[in-house]
Amino acid sequence: MIYLDYSATTPVGFEVLDTYNRTSKDFFGNPNSLHELGVKAKNLMNSATKQIAEIFNVQDSEITYTSGATQSNNLALLGVALQNYKKGKHIIVSKLEHPSIYAICDYLASIGYEISYVKNDNEGLIDFEDLKSLIRPDTILVSFCAVNSETGVRQPLKMIRQIIKKENPNTIIHSDMTQAVGKVSVNLHDVDLATFTGHKIYGPKGIGVLYKSCSINVIPILYGSGKSNMLNPGTPALPLIVSLSKAVRLATTDLEKRERFIERLNLKIVDALSKYEGIMINKTKYSIPHILNISLRNIKAETFLHALEEYEIYVSSNTACSSGDLSSSVLAIYDDKVRASSTLRISLSHLTTTDEVNKFIEYFIQVYKRLSGLNSNI
Amino acid sequence: MKKVVLIKYGELSTKKDNINFFLTKLKENVLYALKDLDVTVDYDLGRMFINTNDNHEEVVSRVTKIFGIHEINICYIIDSIDFDDVSKEVLKLLKDKEFKTFKIETKRSNKKINSTSIELSRKMGGVILKNISDIKVDVNNPEILVNIEYRNNNTLVYFEKIKGLGGYPVGTLGKGLLMLSGGIDSPVAGYLACKRGVKLEAIYFESPPHTSIEAKNKVIALARKLTSYNGEINLHIINFTEIQEAIYKNIPHEYLITIMRRMMYRISAIIASNRNSKILINGESIGQVASQTLTSMSAINEVVKIPVIRPLACFDKLDIIDIAKNIDTYETSILPFEDCCTIFVPKHPVINPDKKRCSEYETLIPYEELIYQAIKNHEILKINTKEKHEFEDLL
Repeated sequence: MIYLDYSATTPVGFEVLDTYNRTSKDFFGNPNSLHELGVKAKNLMNSATKQIAEIFNVQDSEITYTSGATQSNNLALLGVALQNYKKGKHIIVSKLEHPSIYAICDYLASIGYEISYVKNDNEGLIDFEDLKSLIRPDTILVSFCAVNSETGVRQPLKMIRQIIKKENPNTIIHSDMTQAVGKVSVNLHDVDLATFTGHKIYGPKGIGVLYKSCSINVIPILYGSGKSNMLNPGTPALPLIVSLSKAVRLATTDLEKRERFIERLNLKIVDALSKYEGIMINKTKYSIPHILNISLRNIKAETFLHALEEYEIYVSSNTACSSGDLSSSVLAIYDDKVRASSTLRISLSHLTTTDEVNKFIEYFIQVYKRLSGLNSNI
Repeated sequence: MKKVVLIKYGELSTKKDNINFFLTKLKENVLYALKDLDVTVDYDLGRMFINTNDNHEEVVSRVTKIFGIHEINICYIIDSIDFDDVSKEVLKLLKDKEFKTFKIETKRSNKKINSTSIELSRKMGGVILKNISDIKVDVNNPEILVNIEYRNNNTLVYFEKIKGLGGYPVGTLGKGLLMLSGGIDSPVAGYLACKRGVKLEAIYFESPPHTSIEAKNKVIALARKLTSYNGEINLHIINFTEIQEAIYKNIPHEYLITIMRRMMYRISAIIASNRNSKILINGESIGQVASQTLTSMSAINEVVKIPVIRPLACFDKLDIIDIAKNIDTYETSILPFEDCCTIFVPKHPVINPDKKRCSEYETLIPYEELIYQAIKNHEILKINTKEKHEFEDLL
């Protein structure tokens, strides 16, 4: 099997799974219980949270656990919208967001919020001038992903923050960092709210984080008991939390070394595929190497995906969350419907081997030649 | 040219015959704080030098928590006292810095050098102005202050001055036993005693099941915060349950707190004497609560002979909180766990307790035996600077 869909999800790390199992077995107490088992569980939870907070240089109390990126995004956007509806109902997002952001925005629009979509340039970068012109006194929230999930384009959040805060210091900034954490270094202080999730960084599924700066407030969207986690009440999922903490630690070690290695793999694929006229590489100078997006002229991406599947090679068409339609991100960057209609996403990991990449290229070209009707001698 | 961390002593310079004792202790404390780093320490009567390869920033950040230090600098040692040699090196150092205005301050402990400090400053200023363009001298508000000290065999150059904590090296004044509750005040009291060179041990009274493990863990966490100033702390944990219950059952409730505090003082005095601690230290502040009125303090204090130092006696609560925040104990202190001073609280504690009555009431309980038992069975925890990573294998 050659798995090249790491941006959809990742296999759970062996050590992470071990942590999950041992925590489930040895720390089954409810962290909210007062007795010794509860205190033990709570201490473990606090240590896990402290580790995450230290890695991202934030305070323990700024970490909220959620069920994953979708819930974190919901809590961030709905929470800010509900908290600030008296101050304003204007929200700005980019055209490069994950579908879950658009779904929340559609709901907010249906209850009277106004959503603006900021333009981006043809490298995928947010158009700063357009952003400036969109920000108003009643703009309560801006939400931009740190790394686009389809094309890997990374936004300069620090600069974006400066622009936003200059125009309106009260505007809250959220970033979906799901595709950035564990791949490239991130600075949570560039934003007020940040989303990331465990299963993209070799952690378990069902656990994510919302970072919320202590300088802002959001209204909870879930209500229940539990003092320690007001924003996501209920019994904390300790085994998931502890394994997430371990996954974060492991994923943020050797980031740069891994990135350099993945860059080499990425270039190898780009070199091999760009020879073919019918293949367009959707890569800009801001794309991170972990995500490589290509467009196929005249071949349906889904057909191609299934053809590769026959060789046990797994990639995505668009993203796992939005398969079927046009790739909204590719459309936003290249403004080319044909280019956006048939895209494949190849996502790489430090676990990917050079051998896997060589084989992938070999099979990819075979499939390409077969499907594009080319003679294999050409 | 060698890059080192330079330490200037605080009040120590007023010591005469015993200054070496203070300096040896300071060196010991510096080495302890840096024990996991690869460093060596040299010193003379005026300056201490920490030699390290590449950990200067880390060394500075740790040394800023050591008492007995007036100022810290990242310093370059030039092995020459010749002006031309020195000016060459100074220029090299300034090349990497961005600035528009500067000032030179020269010290000349080597009086064999003919020029005065002011002349040397002027001369150096001239050289710098000649070699670096677009800068000027500003003696009032310079962007860069170049400090140059000509010594007997070498010259020191440094720029930024980082303020040290002052005080005396911990341990130079002997040991004291800190009565550590989980509150805001006692860790601050400990910190202040530490600053005057007192090496701390700590004592904590727990009353399980009335108090929880979390309350105890909180005190351990507070003691751990103090270790960054004090080094390792021995924390004595006294099981106070039987005494407290006996008091509650037998003694008029308005006197509960007074008698309880008297028992704590008695136990602390015995532990202090066993551990060679010269004083008791606590966080009492005049008038803060009923047990801290002057009459109360007097009625409580009379049961021990050992001096009781109350560093916070004359501090306002808000000032105490400021220090607690500075030394990073505040957030821990305000965690809401009951300690033995907050359980069994009478509705109207006596504000002016009568000493005679205290003694009379105490005859109602066999306190000497209870105290003996409590001390015999007490637990001693060695609290280290670094938290033992209990869950390391899971995380």
